Amino acid sequence: MQLQDSPADIQRRLPLLAAFVIIFTVVLFVRLWYLQAVKGEYYLEQAESNRIRPVKLRPPRGIMYDRKGRPIVENALTFDISLVPEDAPDLDASIQNLAAYLKIKPEDIHTALDDAAPIRGKYEPVKIAEEAAWDQVAVVESHQDDLPGALVEPEHRRHYPYGGLASHQLGYIGKMTGAQRKKDTGDIGLLTGQGGLEKVYDKLLRGVAGRRMIQVNAAGRKVKDLGIEEPQPGNDLYLTLDLDVQRAAEDALGDRAGAVVAMDPNTGEILALASHPNYDPNLFPRGISPKDWVRLSNDPVHPLYNRAVQSVYPPGSIFKIVVSLAGLQTGVIKLDDKVHCSGSLRSGRHTFRCWKKGGHGSISFHDALVGSCDVYFYTMGERIGYDIIAQFARNLGLGALTGIKLADEKAGNIPTTEWKKQRTGEAWYPGDTYINSIGQGFVQVSPIQACQMIAAIANNGKFFQPTLLRQSRNRETGVVTPVLPEQKRAFKIDPAALAEIRRALLGVTSESNGTAHGAATPFATVAAKTGTAQVIAQKVAGTKLSASTQDHAWLVAYAPADNPRIAVAVLVEHGGHGGAAAAPVARKVIEEFMKNAGTTATR
Amino acid sequence: MLGRRPLANLPWGLIGLIALIALIGLSAVYSATYTAKGPSTLFYKQMVWIAAGMVIMVLMMLPDYHTVGRYAYVLYAASIIMLILVMVMGKTGMGAQRWLAIGPFAFQPSELAKLALMLALARYFAEDPRRDGYSLQDLAIPGAMVLVPLLLVLKQPDLGTAMMLLLTSSLMVMIAGVHLRSVVAIVLVAAVVAASVFLVPPVRHKVWGSLKPYQQNRIKAFINPSSDPLGSGYHANQSKIAVGSGQITGKGFRQGTQSQMAFLPERHTDFIFAVISEEHGFMGSGLMVILYLILLLIGVDTARNAKDRMGALMAGGIVSMIAIYVFINVGMSAGIVPVVGVPLPLVSYGGTSVITTFLALGLLLNIQTRRFMLFY
Repeated sequence: MQLQDSPADIQRRLPLLAAFVIIFTVVLFVRLWYLQAVKGEYYLEQAESNRIRPVKLRPPRGIMYDRKGRPIVENALTFDISLVPEDAPDLDASIQNLAAYLKIKPEDIHTALDDAAPIRGKYEPVKIAEEAAWDQVAVVESHQDDLPGALVEPEHRRHYPYGGLASHQLGYIGKMTGAQRKKDTGDIGLLTGQGGLEKVYDKLLRGVAGRRMIQVNAAGRKVKDLGIEEPQPGNDLYLTLDLDVQRAAEDALGDRAGAVVAMDPNTGEILALASHPNYDPNLFPRGISPKDWVRLSNDPVHPLYNRAVQSVYPPGSIFKIVVSLAGLQTGVIKLDDKVHCSGSLRSGRHTFRCWKKGGHGSISFHDALVGSCDVYFYTMGERIGYDIIAQFARNLGLGALTGIKLADEKAGNIPTTEWKKQRTGEAWYPGDTYINSIGQGFVQVSPIQACQMIAAIANNGKFFQPTLLRQSRNRETGVVTPVLPEQKRAFKIDPAALAEIRRALLGVTSESNGTAHGAATPFATVAAKTGTAQVIAQKVAGTKLSASTQDHAWLVAYAPADNPRIAVAVLVEHGGHGGAAAAPVARKVIEEFMKNAGTTATR
Repeated sequence: MLGRRPLANLPWGLIGLIALIALIGLSAVYSATYTAKGPSTLFYKQMVWIAAGMVIMVLMMLPDYHTVGRYAYVLYAASIIMLILVMVMGKTGMGAQRWLAIGPFAFQPSELAKLALMLALARYFAEDPRRDGYSLQDLAIPGAMVLVPLLLVLKQPDLGTAMMLLLTSSLMVMIAGVHLRSVVAIVLVAAVVAASVFLVPPVRHKVWGSLKPYQQNRIKAFINPSSDPLGSGYHANQSKIAVGSGQITGKGFRQGTQSQMAFLPERHTDFIFAVISEEHGFMGSGLMVILYLILLLIGVDTARNAKDRMGALMAGGIVSMIAIYVFINVGMSAGIVPVVGVPLPLVSYGGTSVITTFLALGLLLNIQTRRFMLFY
């Protein structure tokens, strides 16, 4: 028994156990030394970055002011409810609870997370409810324990206090598209200017993101603030726009489709740029609903379209200014030469009519421009030669981009005889000269080009770059960067010719046979020219035209006639006659401007 | 039973060492669980567990260890029954069924099973000695004794405990003696099984599929810890950062950023060693490893000086068990062993683990105090 119970053999084997213990202790010892002594600093760095998390601070976007210093695009403080999935130990529970508290569907939260997944950085909050109501904010704040990962984020929400007013030049902001994100290096969040000045001056407006360093625990809860790198707010923009003039223009257009451009001819500053119908840019900043988007983009009257720069129309009789200048400056038009207008002109197999059925009778230059006699300008157009007219049109800035800083400007078209041959394979007929001389046919210009042209007439041939921005101001430093008027070029106009044209344009509103009495106002002498652009080639006598085939009504004007301070172009789509439809709009714009002319901000 | 001067006979050095380790552990639990409102209730609970454990350890010295050996099979059977019970009606924690509630207490039968298996094996080997080592056939019965709790624990599933059972039993077989050819055979069989698991896709898929997602993730994370530092590799990564950033001298008591800001998960239980390493640096972690080494070597010495096979095998088994615990736990914190839920003896928070460890150490003290007694 004693022998059998002897532990001698076991004792012999125990050094194996001791060796096992010692070897493993040495292994652990070496490993700990490696981690703590050799790699200690590396892991210390890891530990430091572990507990400090940067939180992106979005800068407030720059504010836009009108030329009198009134804010027209501003930021409103709102609260968003967001979720940081990394901070939710049990994401599904957090989602369920959050959905219950916000009274939304959990699937909506899943969708928001899925949508954000490819573009967000780690720990970047995903917006679940934007512009949350107070009770939603309160319920999230008070149930933080049930909602790990959920947080309330204060946000500067873009706000357009005047709604649709000037919407086409102000633009709107929205989520970046995939392509924009790829190009964008600013890393400023997902909202960016998507139209108008918001887009053009996005880099100025957006500012620079800041960071707050916070110390967090593994549950993502903030332990304390470690420091803040303040975001740099975007630059404020001081626009050339005069809110009162803009409103007068839009009110005058009413619910008709059309465009108004008003400019200071001495500087190129745009005082008003209206396009109707407009849209409410407030629909966009929080992400436009699919329903609203479909409504806006499929609307047959195209409210998103900026008619002032993106639409081109036949200029109609406002083009007679170009023909007049070409004729007078080349000496083809002599002031005393008379043309007989019987109400139409025959050329080969075709008859070209004057708008005045009975005709103007025997008529000289002044009366022909005042009364907009078509037969006179058919005749003169033929005598001058169409390509020379086209040259003058181009010199007056028609058929070319004005370079205004708005997206998708259209150039329009000033055809040449060569152009027609290449385009249609047909020769240029005398009839082409006739109809293009009265601004029909192939000629197409945009309202802003028409405004630029009349501004050049008002300003003795000087062209200023049409501009929407007077100055930008760095909100932090207070440094103001002015945008100085930029003279693009000067077109040498024979002063005698110009004087005759201006005398005639004044007659348009003041003389008995003038076509734009509706633009006359007691506030200033107004020089103007009407235009009526045919939508279909020839009217069938006696039929009433439906709205969509009604002529487009034009008016270009400047005031005061002897010392012009404002140039205006008005286009009313399917408005009918320029004198009836467009002239009153221009009058209201000029009146509003002249009323306050003394108080207009000076640089 | 303890002689006329029982206090003088007590191995005060060993008791002091055990108390020192337990106190360092208690301070680590204090630090790891400290809340904004002061010490956590977990700390006070652990304090109670350790005090109770010390008492149990001393009480374990009272009966003769042979008496304990007599109850080894009963204890073993009881632990098997409890493992079956836990499967049927256990509480689930962390994706596995491990807890059994008795009244207000919840405990992990698998912890008890480790001790019971060790004792049962000690008794079996003591009563059926093969001085020149056991052959494969001889190991059939002890093999079955290991396999039953092993399979039950795997079913929970608790990979860590299964690993513990297997490794502790292997060490005990080594101490009890085994034929070299048996070792070779076992290694070959293990190699074939392992090869078939890794190299034969259908088998691999079957085995891999039988694992819980969290186990798959832990294995994936061990192979490539940086693959997803916030997901499955999180534990391992954060622990390494905690240990390494402690550098030589540590960040100071309750100054460990990893531990205090809750970057380190399971910091008062499985990763308590990382807390010590972070706050006390290599001085602390190295000291702990050395303290365990001394404890284990004293244990080996106790086994060597045991007056019979039962004592030697029990002491050897206790040393094996504690050694495996320590190596796996510390190795896990240091990133050289996959993350499996294994507590650090005497240090990790948790009643079952603390009490089981003190039970085992009490038995070791028992064997040590009786080494010179020839009659019983």
